Amino acid sequence: MKVSLSVLTALVGLMLSAGTALAHHSFAAEYDANKPITLKGTVSKVEWMNPHARFYVDVRDEKGTVTNWNLELASPNVLVRNGWTRKSLNVGDEVVVEGSLAKDGSKMANARVVKLADGRRVFAGSSGGDAAPPAQPQK
Amino acid sequence: MRRVSLFFAALGCAFIVTGSLMAQQTPPATTSPAGSGGLNRGPAVPTGPALRLPNGTIDLSGVWQGGGPVGNIADGLAKGETLPIRPEWKKTMDGRKAMQDPEANCLPTGVPRRDPYPWRILQTPTHTFLLFEGNIHSYRQIFMDGRKHPADLDPTWYGHSVGRWEGDTLVVDTVGFNDKFWFDFIGTPHTEQLHTVERYTRTNMGSLVIETTIDDLGAYTKPFTITFTARLRPGEELMEYICNENNEWVKHIVGSAKEF
Repeated sequence: MKVSLSVLTALVGLMLSAGTALAHHSFAAEYDANKPITLKGTVSKVEWMNPHARFYVDVRDEKGTVTNWNLELASPNVLVRNGWTRKSLNVGDEVVVEGSLAKDGSKMANARVVKLADGRRVFAGSSGGDAAPPAQPQK
Repeated sequence: MRRVSLFFAALGCAFIVTGSLMAQQTPPATTSPAGSGGLNRGPAVPTGPALRLPNGTIDLSGVWQGGGPVGNIADGLAKGETLPIRPEWKKTMDGRKAMQDPEANCLPTGVPRRDPYPWRILQTPTHTFLLFEGNIHSYRQIFMDGRKHPADLDPTWYGHSVGRWEGDTLVVDTVGFNDKFWFDFIGTPHTEQLHTVERYTRTNMGSLVIETTIDDLGAYTKPFTITFTARLRPGEELMEYICNENNEWVKHIVGSAKEF
């Protein structure tokens, strides 16, 4: 699927301009933007639910040990407005996820970008960068 | 970071933990699963003056986004102003944990806080309704029939609101709040003495300026005024957002409210 440069530029701009006030809770209190992580694995479960959609990925290490990661997306209403559907991710898909690690040390991350099974690299509508910035205060 | 790095090294995982430098780099281009779209899709925001209803008042209807504090209410203060918060309440605020935020726990935002989701204004001859998509898929009702506030109100999340027009500005006076909601992510507090006066002015088709005076001498030494502007979302409709559907993960929000 071809995407025009202007759309890509706009979308990247959207990601970069987005602050963290985009979910129903603080991003920085749950995830550490300074701990980026890239996970490659197989989708084991998708939860298309509020307040955040989630999907789970089995990541196999070199010894064959599999770790299941819990990855947070935005809420379905935000994802749909960004072009997602409940079928964008499916159990069995091979994906690469870029995100930020949870601060509490659990096998959780906030997904920022997902490389889908078909190779497209999509913004993930995470609570750390999913929507237009909130209206600016008028001075 | 070190503990996490050691853990990953020991595990010899297939995934990669990159350095913090990555966070500052411009990411490669991404798109949406649909190949286009994004929140800015849809018709351009119309320009020109606001329209009027048959009764002559300004038509405030439409789907809006923003218009109140999300992260920090002080963002809406006039330049150079600071919150006149009482020291004891500043101490309370500084001790708040992000996981205690009522909004994170799928409770209402109260007034004047906004969530980051769209909302709609619906005007009828007797009421004005604010319909919220997000926290918590709820509504405010503003009585437009000239009634006064009842003398003895049970404290509630949205309080008791009466509205009137001053020229082309809708003025909404609200009392009877509970003290449970926060003004923003960082935990800015209030008490049950809170009295808000919101002034809604549709300065043009696409902009709704909301100026709110916060009068709460329980938590502040004097009233203060904040101003935020809601933006019209033409062509947008409200969607369902039932926050409580699966909010068990709130327990992972381990940081201080100030970390926003």
